[in-house]
Amino acid sequence: MKVEREELKGTISEMKRKGYDYLVKITAVDYADKLEAVYVLRNISESKDEIIEVDMPATDAWVPTIIDVHLSADWYEREMGEMFGIEIRGRRAGRLLLEKWDGVDPPLRKSFTWSAPYRNMDSPQ
Amino acid sequence: MPVTRINIGPVHPSTHGVIRLEVDLDGDTIVDVEPHIGFLHRGVEKLVETRMYMQCPPYMEKLDYVAPMAFNEAYVSAVEAAMGIEVKERAQYLRTMLLELQRIASHLFGIGTLCNDLGQMFTVFMWAFKDRDIVLDLLQEAAGSRMFYVNMRLGGLNQDIGPEFHGHAMKVMDYMERRIGEYEDYIEKNPIFMERMRGVGVLSAEQAKNLGVTGPVLRASGVNFDARKNNPYYIYSKLNFNPKVLTSGDNFARYKVKMLEMRESIRIVRSVLESLPGGDALGMPVKLRSPNPANRIATSSRELPRGEVFMYLVADPQKPYRLSIRSPNFINLAALRHMSKGARMADLFAIMGSLDLVMGGVDR
Amino acid sequence: MLANDLINNILNISFWMSSPSLLYNAIGAIIYLIMVFIIFSVFGYTVGWLERKLIARVQYRHGPTYVGMWGILQNMADLIKLLSKQEVSLAKGSRLLYAISLPLMLSFSIFIILLIPYSPALQATNLGLGLIAVFTIISFMPLLLFMTAVATGNKFAGISAQRSVLILLSYEIPTLMVIAAIGMLSNSYSLQSIVSAQSQFYYVVLMPIGFVILFITLLAEFERPPFDLKEADSELIAGWLTDYSSPYYALSLFLDYARMFLGSVILAILFFGGWSGPSIAPPLFWLIAKAFIIAIFIIMVRATTFRMRIDRVLRFGWLWLIPLSLINIVITYILFIA
Repeated sequence: MKVEREELKGTISEMKRKGYDYLVKITAVDYADKLEAVYVLRNISESKDEIIEVDMPATDAWVPTIIDVHLSADWYEREMGEMFGIEIRGRRAGRLLLEKWDGVDPPLRKSFTWSAPYRNMDSPQ
Repeated sequence: MPVTRINIGPVHPSTHGVIRLEVDLDGDTIVDVEPHIGFLHRGVEKLVETRMYMQCPPYMEKLDYVAPMAFNEAYVSAVEAAMGIEVKERAQYLRTMLLELQRIASHLFGIGTLCNDLGQMFTVFMWAFKDRDIVLDLLQEAAGSRMFYVNMRLGGLNQDIGPEFHGHAMKVMDYMERRIGEYEDYIEKNPIFMERMRGVGVLSAEQAKNLGVTGPVLRASGVNFDARKNNPYYIYSKLNFNPKVLTSGDNFARYKVKMLEMRESIRIVRSVLESLPGGDALGMPVKLRSPNPANRIATSSRELPRGEVFMYLVADPQKPYRLSIRSPNFINLAALRHMSKGARMADLFAIMGSLDLVMGGVDR
Repeated sequence: MLANDLINNILNISFWMSSPSLLYNAIGAIIYLIMVFIIFSVFGYTVGWLERKLIARVQYRHGPTYVGMWGILQNMADLIKLLSKQEVSLAKGSRLLYAISLPLMLSFSIFIILLIPYSPALQATNLGLGLIAVFTIISFMPLLLFMTAVATGNKFAGISAQRSVLILLSYEIPTLMVIAAIGMLSNSYSLQSIVSAQSQFYYVVLMPIGFVILFITLLAEFERPPFDLKEADSELIAGWLTDYSSPYYALSLFLDYARMFLGSVILAILFFGGWSGPSIAPPLFWLIAKAFIIAIFIIMVRATTFRMRIDRVLRFGWLWLIPLSLINIVITYILFIA
């Protein structure tokens, strides 16, 4: 199910009312031309999963927070934000969850390049 | 009274791996706990994007070094789903059995370390490790290795079990059943254990769902969800088995669920061995095969000893385009903060022990 | 005549001490020190080795096997290893307190060890209030522990120090009440007369509640499981010893053995008739044998029990031990005095 990011929070609250009250995972995929945030929701009593996908351009990457709907979104959102450089709007900026990456690109984006072999040999440091 | 902030870890006798906890204490009562993770972050999700499909299982096994085979199986099943490969019938039975053996080994580890965290002088820990060793012998016979198996192949296993395996397994199961009874006698009749476990770290069903905890932690809070029952895979739908659910949601319930699950696993192993079909269980050799382009996104949900793993695989030819791993340890650790508020300092490690965390799975 | 007398009484300390000659007194003191040193080191070392072996057996392990026969020299090897480690010095806290507090604590234990009579002949002095003196010095130990912990400025040590003071406050009262009951039974606080008063019945028979209470409070006082929450390794790393390294840590191991020795000897004297026993063996043998059995019991408790939580320890102290010790006094009074 694809939704716009402006409607994301409303959709997830609506799903929670319908019985999808368990958040399995928040993650993201970098499809070169766009970023896609993926929300996996679950209806425990009927054991049904629902995957919600939110597309966004890579240059303007943000999603609204859903932490007040699902408390478990806390760490998932932080991880996704750090790994994909996606801004999570509406929540207090906190400490980075994982180690701070010293490179320019967020590590799980496809534009992230692995460091070249034999680098830094000539530099004085 | 002023709040004292103490720093626990990354090197500490009972953190079960490398994790740092910032604990705010008011006297002896915990005001807040802030876990700092990432010390074991190896970037596995990025790394597998550069490896071919069947080069990845060794990485997956290191994510949970207490139940490696189960994690590996979750990954391989996601790849199988992406490629549309059907697992052979005998291999389905054998995988079910191996996963349950892995669950017994892992829960023994969890209970041993829990008793250690409660300040026991390694006694239950050593007993549990001795018994875990016997289960590992069985896994070695079936999979060829003790610790990291890498025995899952697309559509099957790397090797079939030998003719003596049935006898050995039945003997070990009888032994384990007796030993689990002894553990229960020893641990649950100890008043100190009971008073430190009952009513500590309580998580209500509503909270548990909201915090997204999985596995024994979720079931101890009275939420009846077990991926083996709710999204049955392999032969779990044919087996007459019930997820173990308790309602009190405290440390003791989380411990007890593990004990009950071990007994259930013994039953499952026995019934699988009795109804094992003949035929071939070997999977494909490790080789390239392009996935089905129409079915680019594959998911697999598996009940590991520590909780549910959810693999979200976006498949490319030859390599995973993106593999997102939902690790049970990660989200159970996130709940630690909410569970330990208001508890005593000494209970922090009882709660962590009952969550049964493996840091390799938290950081990935 | 004199030579014969000397040889017969060479181990009788009161003989040496009663002499007016200072030389004789000095010889007696040296003999006494050597004897007590031998008793303490042999007992402490054997119990330390046995602790490792017994706990290993409980846990399906072998324990130390390589160094010496049955690994008997393993503790020596550990000691040498500890002493050869680099000492990590302190960045904050009090350097002076850090240096003196652990030795002071050990010397307090040694002081008690020297104060206890080991047989009618082998004793430094027969103090009229020997029992009170022993327990007064024992109750100084948590204060010294507090000092040791505060000296490092470590937060884990601080929590440990808080716990030790809390335990002191709630477990000192039942201890003293049991001592009072013992005094009522034997009409004296002198350890010699307490032992001779047990010639018919051991006090463990006359006062079982008192024995249980004193056993528990001594476990708490000397940090044996399940009351080892001052150095609870799963929470507090090593508690008050967290910042102590190399020679100081080796001292703390000595302290462990000293307290183990003290606890078992005191219990043997107060409740199991001390050195009284059949005359086939010397009195000293009976005392050590009884203490040894008590020590083994303490070790087995350590092997099997879990650690209690501080609030439960205090609740147990106030709700069970103090009322029980009062009841103990009342029962003792009704049965044996009135």
